[in-house]
Amino acid sequence: MKKKILASLAALTLGGMLTNVPVMAQNAKVAYLVGITGPIAGLAPTMVQSMKFAAEQVNTQGGIGKGGKIDYSVYDSGCNPQLATDAATKAVNINGAIGMVGPSCSGEVIAVANSVTVPAGVLLITSSGTSPKISTLDDKDLVFRTVPSDDYQGRALARTLKAHGTDKVAMTYLNNDYGLGLAEAFSDEFKKLGGTITASRAHEDKKPSYRSDLAELAKGGADTLVIFAYGNSSGLTIVRQAMENGFFKNFIGADGMRDESVIKALGDENLKNYLVSAPVGATGAGFEKFSKEFKAAGGDPNGTFAATSYDASFLMALAIEKAGGDKAKLSKALREVGSGQGEAILPGEWAKAKQLIAEGKPLHYLGASGDLHFDEHGDVAGNYALYKVSGNAFVEVEKIK
Amino acid sequence: MASIGLINYATFMGTMIGIYGILALGLNVQWGVTGLFNAGIAGFFAVGAYLSALLTAPPSPERIMGWELPVAFGWLGAMAGAALIAWPIGRICLRFRSDYLAIATIGVAEVIRLVLRTEESLSGGARGITGVPRPFGGFEYSLSQFAYFALVIAVLLLVYWALERQLAAPWGRMMKAIRDNEQAAAAMGKDIAKRRLEAFVLGAAVMGLAGALYVHFMRAITPEAIDPMISTFLVWIMLILGGSGNNRGAILGAVIVWLIWSMSEFVTDQLPADVATQAKYIRVFLIGLMLQLILRFRPEGLLPEESGQRTSYRSPPSSR
Repeated sequence: MKKKILASLAALTLGGMLTNVPVMAQNAKVAYLVGITGPIAGLAPTMVQSMKFAAEQVNTQGGIGKGGKIDYSVYDSGCNPQLATDAATKAVNINGAIGMVGPSCSGEVIAVANSVTVPAGVLLITSSGTSPKISTLDDKDLVFRTVPSDDYQGRALARTLKAHGTDKVAMTYLNNDYGLGLAEAFSDEFKKLGGTITASRAHEDKKPSYRSDLAELAKGGADTLVIFAYGNSSGLTIVRQAMENGFFKNFIGADGMRDESVIKALGDENLKNYLVSAPVGATGAGFEKFSKEFKAAGGDPNGTFAATSYDASFLMALAIEKAGGDKAKLSKALREVGSGQGEAILPGEWAKAKQLIAEGKPLHYLGASGDLHFDEHGDVAGNYALYKVSGNAFVEVEKIK
Repeated sequence: MASIGLINYATFMGTMIGIYGILALGLNVQWGVTGLFNAGIAGFFAVGAYLSALLTAPPSPERIMGWELPVAFGWLGAMAGAALIAWPIGRICLRFRSDYLAIATIGVAEVIRLVLRTEESLSGGARGITGVPRPFGGFEYSLSQFAYFALVIAVLLLVYWALERQLAAPWGRMMKAIRDNEQAAAAMGKDIAKRRLEAFVLGAAVMGLAGALYVHFMRAITPEAIDPMISTFLVWIMLILGGSGNNRGAILGAVIVWLIWSMSEFVTDQLPADVATQAKYIRVFLIGLMLQLILRFRPEGLLPEESGQRTSYRSPPSSR
């Protein structure tokens, strides 16, 4: 019994490996690690689809180098570090990937970078890991992301509020990495600028009443409440109860609060003092082009992380082309295409980009999720704007920095 | 490329198998030998991982500790910490009968996980702890992987040897007597509650060690790593499949389950691209199927417990 099992296992192993022998030398091997199973399984199909879509566009418009293709493989990272490092080890060592797009969740990115890709010298671009910890990894300049760190939005919002003359706020945030990341960045920046946070409370999701939290928050005497939560859940309840009981007059939120269910539930006439910050990637020329093409290919361009995943995949291709397929030069090449200088390349303009690279001219990628310009940590700044409620929709008030 | 890559991959798998093997050995002390249904492995794994990380990682303004002690202290601390946490839990929960104990331990593991997830000043909260040193971490990639693999295997063998000795001793026979017939053992004058607590604490310490080995391998820990699916139920499957009550069975189970878990992806990738993404779920299915088959056709596991005299390999397995 035991022998039989071992034998069939060995056969399975060998079979799996033999069929994975490299196909063509000039092809560029890229691994897409996405949490296909696990907690973000709902987002994964769109992410995979948009990554593949970018690779297909590259391959149909001339591919990599002379007749090469992006040879991608999709791995399941399970939103879990054990599975993600396993998948990354397979991708790097068995498949021989020179670049990796993903993994999806922040914890995975940290584990994979620490124990697989950075030691192995493989470039990693994540399209959905938002933890500020990723910025400070000791990564030999091999970890990048196309999605802004949570840190950035919180700070931008704090600066804007302060510039508008708000000095005193109370703050409440959902107790998860999203809420916490925003709250920390916001309060750090707000205090640095001389503002006062009269009270700060974490709250748990899906409670029927937050009145006791609100009463505590209101004690400090601030009339502005900053809420880092989701507008279809605890955020809505908090705003409603704060209004009913007159705890606060002004409400400020981040992208999670930019949710039309708030307007539907409370009515726009009650939301005159409701302001939210949110990414504006969804308006630029890059997004329009991507949106049209991705829709035509059967994808949902507004899907969560669809645009950032597309960008990560496309940038990886650009870096490979620029580096001439040399793994050691990838990070430098990615910096060059993400420097914000040179001619702008929109999503899908691979033939043009290939031409420019061949001529040695500088270019930069104006992506679906905005202008992707990497800072020294390999982070993108993100483009945010402040929105107010008008009629049944959110309209932009101003860009924030 | 191919051969070096294969070696790197094998080393990685070997390290993970070693870590899971130690977890399964810890569970074997509790379930296989003593009959304690611990469904909170993730909790002890987490305590070991976080404690070792806190003892050895550099300090950070947002949380406590960060003492930068040598890794060996982290490992010892992890074992001691997991044992210390297990002691009061055992005192309270071990009075429950098996199924109630399972519920209580699941609850305890969830409490530990939620505390680690939310208490920022203790554990770094949802963002976890980074910058944990790895022994031989300064070496080049392949060499560093291999050196750590060797270390993990050495620890696995050491734990195996120590547990084998412990179980071959009168203590081991007594534990099995308690497991198989509590009343009879009590009638013989054995202090059931105290002995069960000993086994529970010993198993928890071994699980804590596995957590420490894991955190130094990954150089970081986040709450996602202590998800019950991957760090409790997978270990249970390993032990049941390999053969509970048998230390070699526990290790064999870890080898087989991890190989299937990791390698099935190569096979599903051969499917057409349209279904390859969906097919990633096959490995979850395969593990479940395997468990069903084992429970149906070989409930005692691949390497059943050796009953009675340690030399009588041919004797029929003890019924549970």
